Amino acid sequence: MKKELEHSFVEKLEKNQNIVHKVCRIYTNNQEAHNDLFQEITIQLWKAYPKFRGDSKFSTWMYRVGLNTAITLYRKRKRSITTEDFSAFQYKIKSEPYDDTEEEQLKLLYKAVHQLNDIEKALVFLYLEDKNYKEISETLGITEVNARVKMNRVKTKLRTILNP
Amino acid sequence: MDELELLKRDWKKDEDTKYPQLSYKEIYNMILKKSSSIVKWIFIISLLEFIFWLFISFALKDADFNKRFETYHADKIMTPFIVLGYLILVYFFYRFYKNYKTISATDNAKILMENILKTRRTVKQYVGFNLIYLAISTFIVLGIQFNRDKEMISLLDKASANGEALKFYALIILITAVALAIFIAFILGFYYLIYGILLKRLNKNYRELRRLEV
Repeated sequence: MKKELEHSFVEKLEKNQNIVHKVCRIYTNNQEAHNDLFQEITIQLWKAYPKFRGDSKFSTWMYRVGLNTAITLYRKRKRSITTEDFSAFQYKIKSEPYDDTEEEQLKLLYKAVHQLNDIEKALVFLYLEDKNYKEISETLGITEVNARVKMNRVKTKLRTILNP
Repeated sequence: MDELELLKRDWKKDEDTKYPQLSYKEIYNMILKKSSSIVKWIFIISLLEFIFWLFISFALKDADFNKRFETYHADKIMTPFIVLGYLILVYFFYRFYKNYKTISATDNAKILMENILKTRRTVKQYVGFNLIYLAISTFIVLGIQFNRDKEMISLLDKASANGEALKFYALIILITAVALAIFIAFILGFYYLIYGILLKRLNKNYRELRRLEV
């Protein structure tokens, strides 16, 4: 019984692992921290899996557990080097290059996102994942109106970080 | 273009290939590892707090002082007080465990944070209760000593002979109160340090979520 559960879980997670990678990308800025958070999210997903009823999509459920882990449950194992800049942490090379200004702007944008607080990061993440305000508000436990207000503040904040 | 739109375009680009893909085996190995989540730490530290107060009550029982205390024949006052202490411990522990069990990573972020904070609050109340309990029992014991401790009575008689009974009472009470205050301050200081370190980030995020919400 347990083996079956393990198998179905690992299989689903393997297929949907990009969601976890993306949460880690928003919340961490080096490879070690990325792996560490990935590990903790996996454990939390697994612990919560017996309660996963299948009435929501596995991926939707993953967003919630993943963000909850990043925002609330996760505690860094080691307080080691976190000075490594995000831009130094390379994801696989893009297929077609951007022009230089855009490339530069993107670097700055990712850096700016990392300066946001945990809740703001969650908003940006859900926005990047095309979640609507209803889903955002349900994931975070705030009203839709406040999700909108907060999102506008995040946009302003990003703009200020970029153009001080 | 809107900054976030630019970011989104890049975010979605090559989504399927840009992240390192873990194998079935690698993910399987991950679920066998132990969590190091804040909830686990809270559980451990809370258990230690319960054990600490239990230990204190047992340590006091074996102390020399307690053997002397038996000569006062004050069981009628003390036994109900001790039983009450244990009943309240059971009550708090039950509430702590119940709150702990409601913590679920599948709730929304705000409810999850609230449940964690609620669990901590129970332990906080238990510590508060213990400190009050300690203060009250100290003064009850002091009252019993004034009436039944042979040494205390003879000292008191000497003081009364000099017309300084009031001064004697005041001095003893003052010394006890100061010692008690130092002990309580020490416990509280230690407690807030642990509590502060452990929940700093959680409290910050919770405040951030609640901002704007009424």
